[in-house]
Amino acid sequence: MTNLFDVLDLPQSLLVEPSSVDSAWDRATRSQHPDVSESERDDAAVSDANQARSVLSDPTSRLEHWLTLRGVEARRDQSISPELMDLFTKLNPVLTDADSVISRLQKASTALAKAMLAKEAANVQLRIQEILGKIMAMKLAVTERFEEFEKAGDYSSASEGLGQLKFLKKWEQQGQAKLIALLGL
Amino acid sequence: MNEELIIGIDLGTTNSLVGVVDSGFPMILADEQGQRLTPSVVAFPENGQPLVGREAMRAANISSQRSVGSIKRFIGRRFSQLSEEEIHEAGFPIESSKNDGILVRIDESTTLSPEQVSALILARLKAIAEAALEETVSQAVITVPAYFSNSQREATKRAAESAGLTVARIVNEPTAAALAYGLDKLEENQTVAVYDFGGGTFDLSILQMRNGLFEVISTAGDTQLGGDDLDRVILEKVASELALGELTPDEYATLKALAREAKEALSESEEHTLRLPFFRGEKSYEFVLSRSGMEATIAPIVERTRSICQRAFAEAKNKGSGEVDHLILVGGSTRVPLVQRQLEEWFALPPNLSQHPDEAVALGAAIQAGILCGRVRNVVLVDVTPLSLGIETFGGLMNVIIPRNTTIPTKAGELFTNAVDGQESMAIRILQGERELSKDNWLLGEIHIPFKPGRKGSARVGVQFALDQNGILEVLVRDTETGEDHVLEIRDSAVDVDDEAVEKMVTESIDHAFDDMNERVWTEAKLKSEELLPAVASALELIGEELPGDDIEKIRAAAAEVSRLVGKEPHDAVALKKANQVLDDATQTLAALLIDMAYSGASGSD
Repeated sequence: MTNLFDVLDLPQSLLVEPSSVDSAWDRATRSQHPDVSESERDDAAVSDANQARSVLSDPTSRLEHWLTLRGVEARRDQSISPELMDLFTKLNPVLTDADSVISRLQKASTALAKAMLAKEAANVQLRIQEILGKIMAMKLAVTERFEEFEKAGDYSSASEGLGQLKFLKKWEQQGQAKLIALLGL
Repeated sequence: MNEELIIGIDLGTTNSLVGVVDSGFPMILADEQGQRLTPSVVAFPENGQPLVGREAMRAANISSQRSVGSIKRFIGRRFSQLSEEEIHEAGFPIESSKNDGILVRIDESTTLSPEQVSALILARLKAIAEAALEETVSQAVITVPAYFSNSQREATKRAAESAGLTVARIVNEPTAAALAYGLDKLEENQTVAVYDFGGGTFDLSILQMRNGLFEVISTAGDTQLGGDDLDRVILEKVASELALGELTPDEYATLKALAREAKEALSESEEHTLRLPFFRGEKSYEFVLSRSGMEATIAPIVERTRSICQRAFAEAKNKGSGEVDHLILVGGSTRVPLVQRQLEEWFALPPNLSQHPDEAVALGAAIQAGILCGRVRNVVLVDVTPLSLGIETFGGLMNVIIPRNTTIPTKAGELFTNAVDGQESMAIRILQGERELSKDNWLLGEIHIPFKPGRKGSARVGVQFALDQNGILEVLVRDTETGEDHVLEIRDSAVDVDDEAVEKMVTESIDHAFDDMNERVWTEAKLKSEELLPAVASALELIGEELPGDDIEKIRAAAAEVSRLVGKEPHDAVALKKANQVLDDATQTLAALLIDMAYSGASGSD
């Protein structure tokens, strides 16, 4: 397992700021990039730096990597909090409605038929954005506990936090994907 | 680091250019006649060598049948991917090779692949550079549309190799344009969007420039959308207004050239007359086109670039990128005033016209060539992969391994295991694209993963998918005993099929195609009618009173004609298709009105 904090020469901390990840990646890219470096072309090093940035700038994958380096795996058995359950029951019908609008928009071959669906599409977009706002707030609530995770004697709360973040990230991506699909139609 | 001279080439759909960095500045090289733009046209005179560029254009005026233009639209694609329209409107005869490749027919005994035609253009550019620089050139940076797939990139690379050029790097066109824009602003920090609307392709890329580091954040595009499409809709309008009926290939080529002339003229003036002297025997035609008339015709094509832009903007935002500071326009089609107006309206950003629309991409290619051969310092370019890469899983679904807009070079590993005792290998189909079903994506080919014989689940083989800086895929398999990586061949499944069987398959499918054609056109047209008629009825009921009476009458008449033809026996597929088109056109304003209402209503309740 490559230590991705080391790849970018960053302290092994959950509290690392995305902006410092970016500037560390900038430095690495400028010095290691085969186009400018005096040494032989080293695609592997550049690939590693790219992977390190993508993992460390995202709080969920950063926490996961941090725990993996400590030999801890995400807990699969944990119970789902009522807030997450509540969010999930709200999210699912919205995604289903989005899929239905998207598939009807894809089938519509004329401008008029598409236009007839515009109101429904606008509506479902709003609902997705609303849920994305909630997801963002819940993600923030977990990342605000990163300092506490680091200071704790064991990794149980960090591992639990990771479980929550993974759900939230997956749902966020689903919501964003639907929004982008709706844009393209 | 490479010290040998490298040239930069913009291999465009309509025009191509070659450039180089000299004393720190990029410049375009001119041919013997002092011309910097080489039309991407190749002509094949009956006796003699192929001609490229302006000479080929002149030859094309004499016989359009033996000349080939816009070949970039076909490079790296399969024949089965082409639509009927694409084949019909190519302007030269196209057929399928035995393994579903594309072949251009020059005459009875000669066919050429799009790669070979592109190689002729590249060889000409190489010769222009060598004459101007007075030295031999063997390496080039070549630009491609950002949205080109792996197959299209590989084909471009092979074309260069047959022209005697080693490809030092494939660079995405909008990224190259950003280099040209940013070279004199290296100390500045900016986020820019490059809107690249060329002869045959459209791309939008969003980049961050930070002290000489050019980083692409997101990109989106359409490799089959460009100025050619603007010409085509203008041609269709003229042909239908003049009631010309079916066009022969020669007539089509003549009209297309006139449509293009009209488009260019109307970027400057308000009115243009298309003249067709002795078009059919003694018959001459004239048609006056106003700028607003043209704009109404091309608006739907320009509109198609909007959602592509929105997608790239949305993905950049998801990746945490800030506001775009400048919107840079490149590509010949951005000269059209409607494009510039629409962009300002859509994105509330004044279009930045500081770059030469035809030359910015070639200048950027020259700069990247300069970076690679040490003539430009302190500039680094980092790009992304435009399309998601994945493998086919059970049920014909695509499983994404490297998502789109991932920074390249990059790699991702997957572990495969044997599903039954003693299994020797496993075939995996590699796909590129954004659709859920694997059949809707590009099939790059198949790899065969070797297993050591053993019990089910005992073999474990790590496979690495690596995208290099050209956006080209390499698949590596690791030998667990020696720890060494081997490159796995990506086999294009169509190539291995027995020739005779393929030939038979092709002939059969053509025979069937002709049988089914009328029925197929009818079925498609009928589906469209069934979609339109109820939509028209409810739309009129909903907001009919907002429209002028004339428009409503037009829509009702068009709808009545469609209903009549749907019920008519025997089926007249062509008439129904036309009637649908009339109704579709007549309802455009109605559609726009509905969309406006939907979104103003939605934001109102916000």
